[in-house]
Formats: sequence, C-alpha cells, structure tokens
Amino acid sequence: MRLYVDSAKCSGCNACRVACSINLFGENNPKKSAIVIQPHFPSPGVYDVKVCTQCGDCAAVCPEDAIKKNNKGAWYVDYSQCSLCEACVPVCPENVMFVRTELANTAWKCDLCGDCVEVCGTSALWIAEKESVGV
Amino acid sequence: MTAIIRPTSALRIYIGNKDEAVVEAGRTVRETLISLNIKPELIALVVIDGENKSKDYIIQDGDIVKVLAVIGGG
Amino acid sequence: MNGYGGSIVRINLTTGNISRKPTPVELARDFIGGRGFGAYYLIKEIPRGADPLGPENKLIISSGPISGLMIPGAGKCDFTTKSPLTGGYASASMGGHFTAEMKYAGVDSIILDGISPKPVYILIDNEKIELRDAAEYWGKGTIAVEKEIKEKFGEEFQVALIGPGGENLVHYACINHDFGRQAGRGGVGTVMGAKKVKAIVIHGTRSIPVADVKAFQAAGKALYKACKEASFLREWTRYGTTVVTSWCDEVGALPTRNFSAGSFEDGKDLYGPVMREKIVITDKGCFGCPSPCGKYSRSKKYGSYVEGPEYETIGLMGSNLGISDIEAVAHANLLADDLGIDSISTGNAIGWAMECYEKGILRKSDTDGLDLKFGNVDATFELIGKIARKEGLGALLAEGVKKASKKIGKGSEKFAIHVKGMEQSAYATHNATAMLLAYMTCDVGAHHNRSWAITYDLQVGRDLIVPEKVARVIWLQNFRPMFDVLGGCRLQWVELGIDRELYIPALDAITGIHRTWEDLEKVGERIWNLTRLFWMRENPGFDRNWDLPAPRFYEDAPSSGATKGQITKFEDVNTLLDMYYEQRGWDENGLPGPEKLKLLGLAEFLV
Repeated sequence: MRLYVDSAKCSGCNACRVACSINLFGENNPKKSAIVIQPHFPSPGVYDVKVCTQCGDCAAVCPEDAIKKNNKGAWYVDYSQCSLCEACVPVCPENVMFVRTELANTAWKCDLCGDCVEVCGTSALWIAEKESVGV
Repeated sequence: MTAIIRPTSALRIYIGNKDEAVVEAGRTVRETLISLNIKPELIALVVIDGENKSKDYIIQDGDIVKVLAVIGGG
Repeated sequence: MNGYGGSIVRINLTTGNISRKPTPVELARDFIGGRGFGAYYLIKEIPRGADPLGPENKLIISSGPISGLMIPGAGKCDFTTKSPLTGGYASASMGGHFTAEMKYAGVDSIILDGISPKPVYILIDNEKIELRDAAEYWGKGTIAVEKEIKEKFGEEFQVALIGPGGENLVHYACINHDFGRQAGRGGVGTVMGAKKVKAIVIHGTRSIPVADVKAFQAAGKALYKACKEASFLREWTRYGTTVVTSWCDEVGALPTRNFSAGSFEDGKDLYGPVMREKIVITDKGCFGCPSPCGKYSRSKKYGSYVEGPEYETIGLMGSNLGISDIEAVAHANLLADDLGIDSISTGNAIGWAMECYEKGILRKSDTDGLDLKFGNVDATFELIGKIARKEGLGALLAEGVKKASKKIGKGSEKFAIHVKGMEQSAYATHNATAMLLAYMTCDVGAHHNRSWAITYDLQVGRDLIVPEKVARVIWLQNFRPMFDVLGGCRLQWVELGIDRELYIPALDAITGIHRTWEDLEKVGERIWNLTRLFWMRENPGFDRNWDLPAPRFYEDAPSSGATKGQITKFEDVNTLLDMYYEQRGWDENGLPGPEKLKLLGLAEFLV
C-alpha cells in the first residue's frame, strides 16, 4: 500500500500537512510534515504535490537501519535510531525525505497513517495497493 | 414511477426532517417543490446525476434530485 | 497560551521602534482574537479624531485561535483600522496562508502606527523583525512583487502587500496575498500605503501549542468529516460563490446598471457553469479549507491569470456595469487586484459614474474622453487604471461615491449606492427588507459579510416588517463575525451547512477554555457595541441618518427584472430601524447608553 495524489485536485489548503505533523510529532506544524505542496502562481496556476511512494530507497541507504516497516507495511523512521547522517535525503526520488534540524532532531517521512486522506476535502489523496496505476 | 428528492439540510423541515423523500416522477422540479410547500424561488441549484438542471426539468423515474437553497449566503 | 501565537508586535514606523510583548491573557479571554483584538486596539489606542491617513491611525493585523490549526477554514486574518473611506470602523478579512504563518512566527497581532519616512517592507522571521527598504518594489503591481519576494525569501514566506492603489491613497485600496486573496474593504490598504509599508513578509517555524492534542485531533477530524459529507460539497467546490449568480439574477438580487434593477437581461453569460467551462483552471483554497471557493482562472482573450471572479466581482464589475462577458470581468478583476483596489467599491463607483454619464451629469470632457456608457468594457479597464493612479475622473472616484456624488451634485447623490460611505456590495435590495436592514446596520458600512438574509426574506415575505426579521439580522450579526474573531472562515457553516456545534469541542481542546456558542455570541455582541461606540466617537452628530440606505431602494423601483415595480417604503425603512434599535438595546438614534455598555463589560469605553 502507498499514498497517491492527483495534483490537479489539490487546492493548496495544507490540511493534509497539518494532519501529518500531528500524526508524526503530535504537533500542529505543517513544516514538520511529509508531504510537499509546490504552488506555481501566478502561472500556470496549479499546485504540484509530492508524496512518498514507499519505494524503500531511503531504508536501503540508512546506515543505522532506522527506517523500518510498520504494521501497515509502510517504511517509517524510528526517531530513536536516527543519527541525522542525511544519507536518506538525496536518494528519495520524490524529495519527501526530511531533515531540518531547526525543527526536529531526527529525519522523518510518511508512515502511511492516512490522516491526510481523511482531511482532504477535494479527494486529491488516496491510499491503494502499490501495483495500482496512480494518476 | 418515482424519484427521490434530497434537499440541503436547512430544507429538511419540509420533508419531515428526513434526508430524502420519495416523489412522483413525470412532473417538473418546480411542480414537485410546490407540492412539498417549498417555494421554488428558494432553490439556487438543481443537480441530478452530477448535472445541473433547470427547475423546468421533468423528473424521470429513478432520478435522485438534489436541491440546494442558499440559506447562509455569502 | 494554548491556541495562540503568544505575542503582540508593535512597530512605530516614524521612529523605527519595534517591540514584542506577550499577548495579554485578559485580552484573549474577553476578545478572543482576530477581529476582537482589532476592535479592542482600535478604540483603546487610536486617538479620537485621528486622521485615517496620518501617523496616529493604527493598522491592527490579527490572527485568531483557530488560525493555522487543523480546522476547516483556519486561514483568515483580520485587518482593522479607522477607515479613510468612511471615517469609521474598518475591518477586512483576508484568506490564504498569512494568518497561519503569523501563528507559526508566534504572533497574534501586529500593530502598525506612525508613518515611515521612506517606503519599507516589514520582515518577520521567527524572532527577527526588521524594516527593510522597499524602493525596488514601490510603484509595482501586487502580482509581480509577491512573486519577487517569494523568490527572494522562499516559498514558505507569506506576503501581504499593497499595489499602486494603496501607494496613491485611493480610499478603498486593498491588501493582497497569495495571488488572489484580499483584505478588501474600507481602505485598509490605503492606511498601509499612508504608512509607506509596501509589504509584510512573515515566516515562522514554531508549532502552535494546544491544550489537548488528542482531543483536538479528534475534533478537527470530526469537522472535516462533516464538511466532506455535506450534500453539496462538490457543487460549492466546483463553483465557489458563483453558485449564487444565476439564483440572484432570478430573484432580483443581481445588481444591474448601478443597482437600477436586480436582474440582468444578459445575466446568463455570467453564470457559474458558463464561467467554469470558459476560464477556470484550479479550485484554490485558503489554509485548511476542504471546500476551496477560489476559482483560479485564465482568460485566453485577455491573457490574464486571476483568482476569480467571485460572485461579488461578477455582480459589481459585470452586471452592475452592463457587462456580460465573463472574460472581461475576469480581466477587470485582475486589473483591480494587481493595482490593489477593492473590486467591490471600484465596480460600484464605476457604475455610479456610468449612470452620471448616461444622464449627462458627466460629459466626455469630465471623463477624459471615455465613452462611459454601461457595457463599455474598454472604458471600464481604463477607468480602473485611472482610479488606481488618481488621474482625471479617477481622482474623483478614488474618494468613493459618497464624497464623489457630494462634489458633483446634480442629483447624483440619489443614486450613489452606499451606506455610511462604503459602497454597497453585490446584492440589490429593492424589495428584500432583511437584507436591506443588514446593509443599513452592518458595522463597517454597506457590506454583506455580517448578515446575509436574502433567502430568509423569500421564505417569510420580502416586504414583511416584523420583529422576527430584525431578530434574525441581529443574531447573524452577533454570530457570523465570530468566525473572523476566531481567525477562520464562516463559509463551511454558511455554504456547506455543517453543524456549528462541532466547533465547540475543537475550541475547548485548542484553548483549554470551554465556550459555548452562547458565550461566543455574547463576545460578538460586545464587539458590536464597541465598534458602534467608535463610529459615535469619531463622527460627532452620529445618529440614525447614518444607518439609512441608498435612496434608490425606497424611491426607485426597477423597471425590469424579477423585482420590477417593487420598492421598499421609506416608512418601513424607519420601522425596521426602530425595531432594530429596540432589540439592540439602543436609543432612538441607535446609540448604546451607559447601562447597556456596563452590561456588556464596556464601562471603561463610555464616551
């Protein structure tokens, strides 16, 4: 299973990112979320959203084995094991592996909690089998 | 031949506080609203099967007719 | 303080002095936030008789306790000041992402006073607050400058800025943000321009503290669930406020040719579905909003990208000007946004000018050669530019229709459509007495945001004058602006019809303070009386005449459309006002007395 997004439906509201930060850190701070929303304004006037595809490239390079699988079968960061080496960041094909030491003393990523899907009013986000054809 | 009417929440008082009511098919939306004591001019939007319809649309068998009244406004 | 940014930032632009102090707990308790903070600082700190464009006026910018949190519509920022347009209370609510970023920077209110010796922009980045030289941006349109600033500092930085309209002190200049959102009405942008502040740029990385995270998460999710299950979510998202365009046309509420009628014979070319098909690209939303009302559009004909037009602009720059081309309205919208002038007041003022021209009160020699007939799209575009630059006829219109019609005379005051000097927004009220009363008694002038009651008029009887109608308007005025106080948007309740009780557990979990809607409406009533006091204080001789509507609505029945031949009787206008004052607990001139003020905890503000 993985998260999918249809950027054409994104309104830029950031509800997903707030929901994500509450799940990952128990804090209301969209900068501590695992979704990237890139606005393109004034033209062409669209949002471009990046989400974790659960490809596992980050886990493959982590020297601490801090990136593990949870009970949803999704890769997540065990904060207690992360050494902030940042090896995972450049290998992520979607740029959704995050290290920002001014925000947290650990790397973080999507753990497929599904809260973003719950709060997305335009149904731009959904979770499905990895084999499905995403948009 | 019947259809279903689903009004916005604020109009549910007109159909006994339910979410939807069964109505006769073959009449216009306007006539159906009047039969339910809903003034047609209250309705801003009529949507059937995802498509906007006018109040003169004749309701077909099996239609689900959503009617929106702008209670709160702008 | 749970739910709050935590500090009040003060900037004296004359001296350059900047201070940051903790938000007072009593202020949060009694006035909650957003518009509440604005009203409090307005009356407490702006000296009586202050020149709105002078150094003593203040611009108070406030987020609220739900801003930036996981709550539907948590994206509204209040801008409060003494209005250069009306001389009274101005409060404008701006959507987007600015208010959220204020909270992440730890800021509840920013209070600007004084006047900067040269153009500056304000940069707030967590603890850092600086005034920076804005010479490179001064004179430029809002779209390009926001783009430049975001490229300079980064996408996370949020920008609120003025255009040439604010710089040139057009009396209804607005403040722009996020390529399409405005603090539109009452000249809040004018005050920012008078202080020589081009932009406020804000960034913060803090988390917003809440009293009970788990309970907040559950309550927030419940609100989103209700929004997503709303029966017309899809339609409200699809059309935004343009859902009502066709209906307003049908019921005689669509302002046509300077509010001379409420239906437009070519109105169907402006309807929501037509607009969507022709120009809409993206459903664009404010922070946290599940029902994005923004219709980001591209006009191929004019090559313009704009967020809009929304219903108000379609009314005032479309049907009100006799214009039926939705692409022309979109382009007019962009011109107004980029130049930074309120599209509502601008459209209303141009409509007045067109009627003057068609009646021969203004001639081509007065209009700089513009053939200012209703329907003239090119003249409209030119005139928008002239207003923003205060050139020729634009200089007159830049003062607003109340002052402009006073200067021109020749009966033009009769069709200046305003209340208290604020141009009426896009609902024609020839025969809709609850809505008429709403416009008459709105606390900033003729704006529909506080109380919207047209369907109610149709349900109970358009010309019915009964205490229940007045009670409805008052309830809406005490209730709806509470969303502005909370720092959020009312449209999830207004449009999706979600149960407002769902907000209560969310507020509890955020602030740790239990408040019911009854409690909130009491605060609403308190603020309502406070801003009424401000009008009284700033306008000696303030009386019931200030609450009267434009004469058109009791003298000039439409000759066409859904309200053909219908008009409100002047005696009914007075009856409505008498009932309103009585129910508000005010005297026959609409003034709250000492007993009323004491009851509301406003004894210290006794004039």
